[in-house]
Amino acid sequence: MKFDSDPILRDLHGEGGARDGAIARLHALLVRVARGEAARRRASLPARAAEEVDDLCVQAANDALMAILSKLDTYRGTARFTTWACKFVILEASARLRRHAWRERKVELDDTIWDRLSDQAPPILKRLEDDQLIRALHRAVDAHLTARQRLVFQSVTMDDVPIDVLAERLGTTRGAIYKTLHDARAKLRRALTDAGYVDQRND
Amino acid sequence: MTDHRFDEILGRTGRDPGCDAGLDFIDEYCDIVARGDPVPERFDEFLIHLNNCRACREDTDGLLAAVREERNRNQG
Repeated sequence: MKFDSDPILRDLHGEGGARDGAIARLHALLVRVARGEAARRRASLPARAAEEVDDLCVQAANDALMAILSKLDTYRGTARFTTWACKFVILEASARLRRHAWRERKVELDDTIWDRLSDQAPPILKRLEDDQLIRALHRAVDAHLTARQRLVFQSVTMDDVPIDVLAERLGTTRGAIYKTLHDARAKLRRALTDAGYVDQRND
Repeated sequence: MTDHRFDEILGRTGRDPGCDAGLDFIDEYCDIVARGDPVPERFDEFLIHLNNCRACREDTDGLLAAVREERNRNQG
């Protein structure tokens, strides 16, 4: 299925008033979608920051509009044009909103998480429901992960730090953080497989 | 002993294209899901990534919500 007949797309490829009108309609759509995303994430945002959050939404829409206009020729028509365009504003808005939610929180390696009483343990460790499994995972983390892999693995999986927040704090990209996480998980799976706790494949 | 309780913390195995490659599929995937069509097999690796990456899962949920909202708006 090809989706390349949207009137906004047609007018963006035009000139003069038609193009200006299309840009205005697209910008209105992007602002609306960014605000919708902020509303959806309201529970994770500081309660008294409504005006700041709305500024973030408008900034996200502005940056998304610039990105869309510069990448218009890369639109392949595999999704509706408005869906393709909304992708840009969702990515801009969600990254800003996650950073906003974490702006006053530290990101650091906390080795005490392994020894906390069960009611204070990270939820993902609570769900392992077994001290023997937690000890096996802790041993694998200590024995097989580099310092950076430990920081990324523990921050993302146990402290629920968003990867784009972690990327910003560590001066790198979301893709690079995800690669580090992926490699750390693969090492841990191999170690736990060798120790007899998991299968190599789970799908 | 095999324990599937590790699956959540270790993620799903199978080829995971990562965030950057995964984001190439997010718009097409959301349109398919919003239409209620079956998701083709070529999205399998993307779905592995969604299972393993909370940020991409949240972004996909956000885009899907926006697609549905705009569809309702245009129909209303």
